[in-house]
Amino acid sequence: MILEFMRDDHRACDHFYTDAENALAAKKTEEAKELFDIFYDATNHHFDREERELFITFEKRTGMMGGPTQMMRYEHQQLRSLLESMRLALSENRTDDFFGIGESMMIMLQQHNMKEEQMLYPMIDRALGDDAELMVQTLKDMVK
Amino acid sequence: MFNGLSLDQAPPLSVVIRFFITVPVFGILLSLIIFFNPHEVLIPTHPISLAAVHLMFLGVITMSMFGALFQMQSVLGGRPIPSALGNAFLIHLFLVIGIFALCGAFIFSLPELFIIASIFLGASILYCANLILPLLFGDITHDTLRGMRLPLIALSLTAVLGIVMASEYANSSFSSVHEAVRASHYSFGLIGWIAALIIAVAFQVIEMFYVTTPYGSWCKRNAFRIISASLLLKVLWIFTHLPYSWVFDLIMGALLSGFIFTTLKRLNQRKRRVSDVSIWFWQLGMALLSLAILTYGAFIGSGYDALQSVALIAFALFALAIILGMMGKIVPFLVWFHLSSAGYMDAPIMSNIIPATRAKGVFSLFALTSVTMIGGVFCLESLLVGAIIGGGMFGLLLLNLIHALRLYRDTLIHGKRFG
Repeated sequence: MILEFMRDDHRACDHFYTDAENALAAKKTEEAKELFDIFYDATNHHFDREERELFITFEKRTGMMGGPTQMMRYEHQQLRSLLESMRLALSENRTDDFFGIGESMMIMLQQHNMKEEQMLYPMIDRALGDDAELMVQTLKDMVK
Repeated sequence: MFNGLSLDQAPPLSVVIRFFITVPVFGILLSLIIFFNPHEVLIPTHPISLAAVHLMFLGVITMSMFGALFQMQSVLGGRPIPSALGNAFLIHLFLVIGIFALCGAFIFSLPELFIIASIFLGASILYCANLILPLLFGDITHDTLRGMRLPLIALSLTAVLGIVMASEYANSSFSSVHEAVRASHYSFGLIGWIAALIIAVAFQVIEMFYVTTPYGSWCKRNAFRIISASLLLKVLWIFTHLPYSWVFDLIMGALLSGFIFTTLKRLNQRKRRVSDVSIWFWQLGMALLSLAILTYGAFIGSGYDALQSVALIAFALFALAIILGMMGKIVPFLVWFHLSSAGYMDAPIMSNIIPATRAKGVFSLFALTSVTMIGGVFCLESLLVGAIIGGGMFGLLLLNLIHALRLYRDTLIHGKRFG
């Protein structure tokens, strides 16, 4: 339940990023900036959903405070920093830097997503049991 | 059960790089052997040819794949390889000694070196398989990790059969099943180890790097079962002298053709449209694998030996294409990742670690090497040119890796760090 919902959200973010990257590659800079903002907001919202609701509930259920969720928070920090660098590069029209940082960001984001999808979300699904459906609704209701 | 997810899972940079940086050294050595012995390398049973084949498949391909395995298991597995630093040191050292001993044994016809090669290569390969394989069983759901079981088992079998043959060479006494052992050694090595590992990696990286639709779940679930069953039945057929063993080659060829078609389709339909050298390597790799399958099929049908040589060279180049494409992404990412994770604010971005022009240079030289090496089967001059260009390509690869490591070291020494 959690796995499917969050995995779909990962894919949606990937597609937002490729839209921005493709627009910039086609030299449509203004369109790329708007599309990147959509990706930026969607990704940060995804991290917020995890940090403000999902991880906290999981930690309360399992008592695992310093484990995988803490590691994911650390990776969120790294990714947020990369997103900021990309946004700055884009605003200063440093296209090469945007693509250069974007490559690191994309590999890191994909590895991060993979860890969550392969290990963390299944663990959360097991920990939440029947409450997973309610959690999905809570995550859907979270405002950006 | 929680299996990890920590930074500690990313092995130190040296674990992976020690394997990668050895690759161009063996590549240059291979180019020299081809350049100075063009006649001999085209005779499949000639000792120089056997030395060249093992330099390629062990010194270049297996060496890179071991480095990649150390990295992939850590990232995908959740269960890190124990004592990665020490184990990588030993496995790498034994592999290097073993490869030199084996090539020396073939070139100089020294029986003692066959024994040394058997000990060191056997130790390195079986130890590596024994280290990683247990981590791939149990509560594993990832298709790539499950897919990595077959290549490691096939590699172990390749090594065992290799040791049997090495003892025959050492004693200059060949058993009645020598040809069957040799055919099985090739089949397990080429298809079970190399092709299967590349398929397992593709299942992961094609979708991840290029944002494509995933490979079908039927494909992910059954590809390795089909390869395993075909390989085992083929070996059984060979040892019992049953007819029609080519049927199993046909099945594996059909499966690999399906893999080529699916991979090219996904690459063409990828969401990320940005031009990337690694995509060119994948596309060229698929073209080379197609050539290998077609020429091998034609060889089975016609018995024309040159076609078998083309098939083997094209297959080796296919594996090298994927390796070079992935190395060009992995090395800059690892340098950036380790510096960035250690808190260095001015960690160079990936495109500055291996600049695009240099990455394109490796690709251009690789494409030229492929054409000239394959042409070399029919025209000796082409083989000589191929050896020169191939040497240049491995030289540029070595420079790229040294440049990346230099940037890493300079940032460690002079970079600004958080906190």
